[in-house]
Amino acid sequence: MKPPPFEYEAPSSVEEALPLLGLDSTVLAGGQSLVPLLNLRLAQPELIVDINGIAELDYIRAEDGTLRIGAMTRQVTLERSELVKERWPLLSKAIGLVGHAQIRSRGTVGGSVAHADPAAELPVALTALGARFHLRSPGGTRPVDAADFFLGPLYTVREPDELLVEVEVPEPIDGAGSGFAEHARTHGDFATAGAAAIMAPGVHAAVVLLGAGPMPVRAEAAERALTGGAEPREAAALSAQDVEDEHRRALCTELARRAIEEAMA
Amino acid sequence: MKLVGRPVRRREDERILRGRTRYLDDIDPPGAAHVAFARSPFAHARIGGVEVPAPSAGVLAVITAADIDGRVTDLPVQGFEGGEVSAEGHPVLARDEVRYAGQPVAAVLAESRALAEDAAELVEIDYEPLDPVLEARASEVTMSRWHRVSGDVDGAFAAAAHVVRASHQLPRLAPVPMEPRGAIASYDEAGDMLTVWVSAQDSHRQLAGLAKVLDRPEESIHVIVPDVGGAFGSKGAPAPETMLVAAAAMATGRTVKWTEDREENFVASYQGRGMEADVELALDEDATILAIRARIWADLGGYLMPTTAIPTHTTAMLMCGVYDVQAADVEVVGRRTNKVPTGPYRGAGRPEAAYFVECTVDVAARELGIDPLELRRRNLIREFPYRTALGWTYDSGDYARCLDRAVELVKPERHSDEERVVGTGFGMYVERAGGQFETAEAELLPNGKLLVRSGSSPHGQGHDTTFAQVAAERFRVGLEDVELRFGDSKEVPRGVGTFASRSVAMGGSAVLQAVDALKEQCDAVSARLGGNPSLRDIAKAEPRLKASARFESDLVFSSGAYGAVVEIERATGRLRVLRIAAIDDAGTIVNPLLAEGQVIGGVAQGLGECLVEEAAYDEQGNPTFASFVGYSLLTAAEMPPVLAAFVESPSPLNPLGAKGIGEGGSIGTPASVANAVADALGGVRVDPPFTEDKLWRALRQETA
Repeated sequence: MKPPPFEYEAPSSVEEALPLLGLDSTVLAGGQSLVPLLNLRLAQPELIVDINGIAELDYIRAEDGTLRIGAMTRQVTLERSELVKERWPLLSKAIGLVGHAQIRSRGTVGGSVAHADPAAELPVALTALGARFHLRSPGGTRPVDAADFFLGPLYTVREPDELLVEVEVPEPIDGAGSGFAEHARTHGDFATAGAAAIMAPGVHAAVVLLGAGPMPVRAEAAERALTGGAEPREAAALSAQDVEDEHRRALCTELARRAIEEAMA
Repeated sequence: MKLVGRPVRRREDERILRGRTRYLDDIDPPGAAHVAFARSPFAHARIGGVEVPAPSAGVLAVITAADIDGRVTDLPVQGFEGGEVSAEGHPVLARDEVRYAGQPVAAVLAESRALAEDAAELVEIDYEPLDPVLEARASEVTMSRWHRVSGDVDGAFAAAAHVVRASHQLPRLAPVPMEPRGAIASYDEAGDMLTVWVSAQDSHRQLAGLAKVLDRPEESIHVIVPDVGGAFGSKGAPAPETMLVAAAAMATGRTVKWTEDREENFVASYQGRGMEADVELALDEDATILAIRARIWADLGGYLMPTTAIPTHTTAMLMCGVYDVQAADVEVVGRRTNKVPTGPYRGAGRPEAAYFVECTVDVAARELGIDPLELRRRNLIREFPYRTALGWTYDSGDYARCLDRAVELVKPERHSDEERVVGTGFGMYVERAGGQFETAEAELLPNGKLLVRSGSSPHGQGHDTTFAQVAAERFRVGLEDVELRFGDSKEVPRGVGTFASRSVAMGGSAVLQAVDALKEQCDAVSARLGGNPSLRDIAKAEPRLKASARFESDLVFSSGAYGAVVEIERATGRLRVLRIAAIDDAGTIVNPLLAEGQVIGGVAQGLGECLVEEAAYDEQGNPTFASFVGYSLLTAAEMPPVLAAFVESPSPLNPLGAKGIGEGGSIGTPASVANAVADALGGVRVDPPFTEDKLWRALRQETA
């Protein structure tokens, strides 16, 4: 469990980092997924671009009601943010379920998004919140909606020369509640299934499932039903109707129900 | 002062918690070469050839089977009474065939572990893949077999009012000690002395294994066991990798170090369980068990590690359980499969027997329509010593009292509503513990303190505290006046080792006898000197007072009754164990605090087996569990309240009256939880791990 040889660069600014990115390089943020992959020799990059020294990517701030999170923000910082707890509680709920405390103190918000593990909580919560991810390359910055960002397990629309620099979360909808429910074999283990919900009765409903597919799955039928006044149980049943395995479908349905009920409570 | 029976805190903990320990990897001899193994990626393949990479900087040697041919033998295989065991010992490195994914084929020696791993990737091994055999019942190669028929079994079945049949299966489990395995070897050519530091359960079996495999006199090998971070059985038998490290040190003259990583530990350290059984009970109309028949299959893996076959014998011999059964026909066959070998893992045959017997008893109670507690009470052994139909003699016990206490503490519940089903189950056990011999030496130091060298050594059990309690009480000194030493083959007397819940009964008794003998010598000196001399005066008058003891005894039999209350969520199938009552009778308890710790730890392992643990292989025989992504361990969050209590039926076979407590939790828990799950499911039985998808499907079966 020693990584294969690699080159190592530790730029101190985004400007310095960008030219280093490409097909043969990998970005090291918190290292909570990459380092095990390196040690297992499943990842064999030629160059590791360590962005831990890029202080400009470490921030949480609200601007005109919008939440902006720098990609290098540690998960524990998000977890402890009073601003986030108060205005975007779904993020606080989701982040508390990410691994163990040790993992969250090193793991980053951007790392979790860019790594795109199908069992990760943050991509699910951010999809439910309608977040946008800002990708920077030598050619400029492009925003991508969370709903369009994830393509499959460990696979996103990010190009090899792009760096995820910021997660942008829109202003909360007035009167909306939120809920997050998940199921893992043991406390802190990878989630096997989960659901995030945001509910502003009659106005807005968002339900996103974890474990119902290779990436966060938006339960649009359930969302429509909820906006039309459906009961949580009824909507939950619609949320996972496309999941093939019977037990997984039951599990996702139950977790969706819990998340929806929590969001409505 | 009375110290035996007191809940003394572990005196080794301050040192451990402050990091003032020395585990294998903390030992860093200057100039050591590091080893990485090229391991088979195939479960079964013929090896056409091995091509070693071109020499590169920092890489010292690439060793293949051909390089050590004639210098090492395969690992020895241990037999057992009445058993036929084949001589398929594990080769140090694979020759022309690999029989499991993870088997070492070549070893690379380099200046660092990272360089060794780089070079190990470049070793070209020409594999011709073969079909793997993954199920014991499907295997055509029997590696061990044992069969015993006692009493009129056929007659009993013919006359029985009821015959109950059930089949049960326990998955393979990975032991997962916090500290993986490892060894360091250094060879002094001038003195022809091989020194081996090894993370192991004792120095004795490592020493014997090294002597045999390397064909060297034992006097020319020095084994040092440093602090050990857990083993659960997996560091008892010497490892092929340890042999390679020793052989490489002798061949190269370099000190050679191998610290296993977690991935290697998962794929290459021997595993536990992996047994299945068809069990039949013959009962008369009063539900008295007349006879038992059992056919047991063990999935032993590709080779026999030295102790691979032993747990199968233990399971077979315990198939009468805690019951007075006059006739038994039990056969166990150990089959070769294309997986890493199995071996003793906490419980080592006992949890299998308890699971097979106790689950069948519950099936019988359901079929006969009687309360499973009542069925048990009608059949319990009540008088001791008791010789079982299969031939072991249970020394003492009070099985009925254990069961009564378990019922009292667990407070059975059985109900269901729209959201959940709740049930209660019990599992009883009898455990063979102790046996063979153990040694100790007691010496009066010049400062008047007592030094005890123990042949039995710790890897987490708390010997330094419990043995000091025994020694201090017998020597009439304080605990702080007793120093214990373990684990160095040049210093401690030759013993047997730490396994089979044997340390207190065997090692503790040896300590007691050695200390008593030294006390007698001290008393004689004291009488000669007159007055009231201090121990320091005695040591001055008669330097180097020393006594040794070798304590030998037959097996002792711990026992217990476990009760579990479980809840299964209808919507998801998720199992929650609400509480466990753990009643263990380990004879006299030397330290109730440590004993309870052993029970809780054992329960946690037993529950892990129930809830999440399974060393599963895919159809090609690839391990799917080779990291903590694929293999889960319980956390504190999953632990239910454990209501532990002891019944103390002293053993007549040793001066302490002690038995063993190291394994009870892991033996009683799976059987009781399995019966609770079946109770909650209205009699539908599934085998562990009780994952939510299995239980969800079983719930639908129950309501269908």
